[in-house]
Amino acid sequence: MSCVSPESKPDWKAYVLRELGQDAHRQAEAHLATCSICHEEVATLRLTLDTLSTLREEEMPRRIAFVSDKVFEPRWWQRVFNPTFAAGVLVAVAILIHGFMGTGHTSQDQVDAAVTKAVSQVEARHMQEIRAMYEELDVRNKQVANMYRNAVLSR
Amino acid sequence: MIFREVEDPDLIAKARRGDVEAYNLLVSRWEKRVFNYLLRLVSNREDAMDVSQDVFLKAYQSLPKLDDPARFPGWLFRIAHNEAFSLLRRKRPEAELAGEPRPADLNPRLLPIELSLAVETALGRLSPDQREAVLLKVYQGFKFEEMAEILECPVSTVKSRLYTALDLLKATLAPMQKAALRGEL
Repeated sequence: MSCVSPESKPDWKAYVLRELGQDAHRQAEAHLATCSICHEEVATLRLTLDTLSTLREEEMPRRIAFVSDKVFEPRWWQRVFNPTFAAGVLVAVAILIHGFMGTGHTSQDQVDAAVTKAVSQVEARHMQEIRAMYEELDVRNKQVANMYRNAVLSR
Repeated sequence: MIFREVEDPDLIAKARRGDVEAYNLLVSRWEKRVFNYLLRLVSNREDAMDVSQDVFLKAYQSLPKLDDPARFPGWLFRIAHNEAFSLLRRKRPEAELAGEPRPADLNPRLLPIELSLAVETALGRLSPDQREAVLLKVYQGFKFEEMAEILECPVSTVKSRLYTALDLLKATLAPMQKAALRGEL
């Protein structure tokens, strides 16, 4: 059966989006049961909405955090191992040791050497962490590439 | 004893009294939805993350001004809308130089499914107003009246944007839909 009065057709978009009132919804369903044109229109709209629903919800790169947020407040050991804090501590310790052992004849070169050593230790640790992250990223990239390849091959 | 899940209005009431933990819980309930909404609007993960942070900070500061806690979702998305379009206005010259609108800045290796990519691309071809109407209705489930409040425009405008967007999406996605039905995907 064809739709004889297109002007009085129900609002099909509102219908599939569940925005019609109860009475209008019932009338629309009654019309739908007898009109093949409208039936097809509704089917296409539903298919479009179904397709839209395939869009993946993305994970957040990190959580929202606030300054006064106790949940995200770093623990004591996280504070200690914070790179900036740790570098500061190392430099301070190096200067102190140097002060105790220097017995009065501290040269600027010795201070510079102690600072350089402390900073290089921190930098080396950072490089190690970054390398580990890259290695993990590489493994995951390979896993994703394999999944993609398998998906294409299984088509 | 029957335990009731703590509702958003309870958390809002506590947060208004300065309970940061209550607000944190509220954030954890809404952050992903807000982030995804912003991501589709601003098309860049870092921008979406930064704007999300701003949205929840502004919401916290403005919480005493929220008259009816039951309207929190719409109110929150209103803030998100304002922040997103503020960013888009600031970035407009840059975006115009960049040329055609592009799908969200997502790592394609993480989205191997063609259908999802097609939807992403189709959404990227809509105007910002049309795209936002689809995001609020299809992905966030707001009613027309709530969308009108969030977007500060009449319901007729909301419907016009959404309906035009759906027609465009239908046309863009039709080949993909047919292929999927034929079992080619």
